[in-house]
Amino acid sequence: MIKKSKKVKDYKLLTKALPTLRYLDPHSVFIHLQNSRCKTYDVSVKEGDRVLFGEQIGVRHGGFFEQPVHATVSGTVGKITKKLHRTGRKVDVIEIKNDFLDTPHESVYDRPDAIIEKMTQADMVEIVKEKSLVGLGGSGFPTYIKLGTKEKINTIVINAVECEPYLSSDYRLILEHPEEVITGLKYIMQALNVDHALIAIKSMKNPLYEVLTQVLEVRFPELNIQVVKLGNYYPQGWEVEMFEQALGIRVPPGELPTKYGIIGFNVSTTVGVFDAIKHNLPVTKRHFTITGDAVKFPQNIFVRVGTSVKELIDVCDGFLDVEEDIVIVMGGPMMGTSVTTSDVVVSKTTTSVIILKDIQYKEEQCVRCGSCVYSCPTHLQPVQIMNAVKRNDKDVMKGLNANECIECGLCAYVCTSKIHVTDYVRKAKKLIG
Amino acid sequence: METVIPKIIRRTSPYLRRPKANVTRMMRDVTIALLPVTIFAIYKFGMAAVMIISVSILSMMAAEYIYYQIVDKLDDEKFKWKNKSFTLYNFSTITSGLIYALILPDATPWFVVMIGAVFGVVFGKLIFGGLGQNIFNPAALGRVFVLVSFGTLMVFDVDTVAGATPLGVINDDIFNLALLSDFSIMNLFTGMAIPGSIGEMSVILILIGGVYLALRTSFEVRIPIAYIGTVALLAGAVAIYKGISYEYVLFHVFSGGLIFGAIFMATDPITSPLTIPGRIYFGFALGFLTFIIRIFGAYPEGVMFAILIMNMFVSSFDYYKWTNSKITKRQKIIFSIVVLLSIAVTLVGVSYV
Repeated sequence: MIKKSKKVKDYKLLTKALPTLRYLDPHSVFIHLQNSRCKTYDVSVKEGDRVLFGEQIGVRHGGFFEQPVHATVSGTVGKITKKLHRTGRKVDVIEIKNDFLDTPHESVYDRPDAIIEKMTQADMVEIVKEKSLVGLGGSGFPTYIKLGTKEKINTIVINAVECEPYLSSDYRLILEHPEEVITGLKYIMQALNVDHALIAIKSMKNPLYEVLTQVLEVRFPELNIQVVKLGNYYPQGWEVEMFEQALGIRVPPGELPTKYGIIGFNVSTTVGVFDAIKHNLPVTKRHFTITGDAVKFPQNIFVRVGTSVKELIDVCDGFLDVEEDIVIVMGGPMMGTSVTTSDVVVSKTTTSVIILKDIQYKEEQCVRCGSCVYSCPTHLQPVQIMNAVKRNDKDVMKGLNANECIECGLCAYVCTSKIHVTDYVRKAKKLIG
Repeated sequence: METVIPKIIRRTSPYLRRPKANVTRMMRDVTIALLPVTIFAIYKFGMAAVMIISVSILSMMAAEYIYYQIVDKLDDEKFKWKNKSFTLYNFSTITSGLIYALILPDATPWFVVMIGAVFGVVFGKLIFGGLGQNIFNPAALGRVFVLVSFGTLMVFDVDTVAGATPLGVINDDIFNLALLSDFSIMNLFTGMAIPGSIGEMSVILILIGGVYLALRTSFEVRIPIAYIGTVALLAGAVAIYKGISYEYVLFHVFSGGLIFGAIFMATDPITSPLTIPGRIYFGFALGFLTFIIRIFGAYPEGVMFAILIMNMFVSSFDYYKWTNSKITKRQKIIFSIVVLLSIAVTLVGVSYV
């Protein structure tokens, strides 16, 4: 099949219509002390200490920023152990044994609207920084840096596209809490002093369009926010693609969108901003999807950050068939990371766990059909990069701009010969650094 | 309660693949698209066509099978009847064999068919490393090989004009449309009462195959459009320059296997460039070469030569310094200049003929 193909079968029907379950009382939670951006940390509590819900228990040190670590339940501090992170690496985690009382820390309180209305950009940046909010769509980039931008912003775009197959946690989040999304967006608009914002959704997600427009009309008639329906293809949720479709501005690779007066936030991050500013709360709970064709009852679950995925799989009644080999993916099935154990922990930035039957695809010879070239959202030529990797020709890899690849996985998805093209391009990126 | 955990495999993203996409489907589609033409060939030439088609396919398959068995033997692998590299299973050899058979004249002796088939598949495909690695279109290579080696044996048996094809008739006096009075455009279109290679005659049936391939997205439709369009453009320029009827254009487009070559041979993805612009330029170059060979060359027909010559340049279309998957403004300007130049070159050439 030689064609430009951006439609990816989306499998969202598995969970899209299911109401979100609540699983907020695990026996213990495990809080990451390291992540992909922060390698070192300090812990301010010791084993046996009692901590409260929302209390700061330590700080992670990143390259140019620091992230406070917060307890997501109230209870007793346990040991520091090692567990797998979303990125597939083993990192240090601290255990907190739940006392099921959910006693809030004194820092957790509701800010009156009158105070919020008078807040400036600096105030809000300070709060978001203190509550260590990061990009919850998966990037993990500190939100306070984005929110503190000095560039003139004309439009804010909220990314509610969720273009990866299987995922439905953002979908449920908007459907069930549209006010929180819009209020969070209102705070961001206030901070950046912008009067125009867009919420980008996929055009097939009509329920979201209806609920958002209705809430906007009834509750927030004063806000200039539009809900835009974008295409149903993949990777519509990639920022550059989303901006281009929504606003007609193509941000060149290597440049920040703020330069063009645009800024994008993920919809979960927006709700995080709402929690931080309204309730003075760090990200302690999040919407989560467990799905895939190898789990018995796929579910949307509202969980504490730090819950073990193993427990969540039990909530879904376990695996479909214990005889069959499976693949466990943290994140979406196109870009997520495969992990080797179910004993991983839900971090702030994990949107989902996908449990798939393991399929060994039989690779055939490349017939140069060109589908990967036609489909690549960054207009690269994956097959040529692959051939360059095979003969280890770094000049060609550089000449073909392999480092612009966003690893969306579309080239391997569309491949007529079922070759894992994405892996070769990834190798090229590594080789040319 | 401890749940039993199945074996967890580690893979890399993406974990999904497009359903229903595979090489076999693509190659099988080409074979299916060739069926109307094949049936027409058998209807028209009877046993001669059956002989050519079966000899061609069987000898290509046999050559490939023996080749891979020898390669495995040289690699000290254990002999197995079912060879792992043999591509019968994905239709590619059958497709090559069928295309090769359909571009042969109906009176070709069986040993010539066989020699061409074996030469084409061994030197056009296997020697480069088999499916996906070949530089030349095996069918075109085999056809040109028998044309230059056994030219006198390659006669056309239908005696409308003593076995000469339309392009053969006009080869000596290329602008004399009166010579073509025996070939009506309608006959060229349907393939009735026209001599020629067994599968190339019926334009309408070839187009049906092309439409099928386009609907199944099993080929790149831009190549034949650019190819045929270029031939029509150049023929049109010549017709206007010489002040002859528009039938000259139709005659060039409908005769000599141009449409067959454009749809079934030039579009072979393995021997064409990778990007959309590259494929358009490739089609243009094919059209230009075909037309030049037709009106200036010694041979009446240029499709096979054009395809083989352009096959050699595919890698330069894909050279990393100028390949681009989008058409840029600069490319548009250069391409327009090249098109104008090619028309100028053709007209200057024509004024000397």
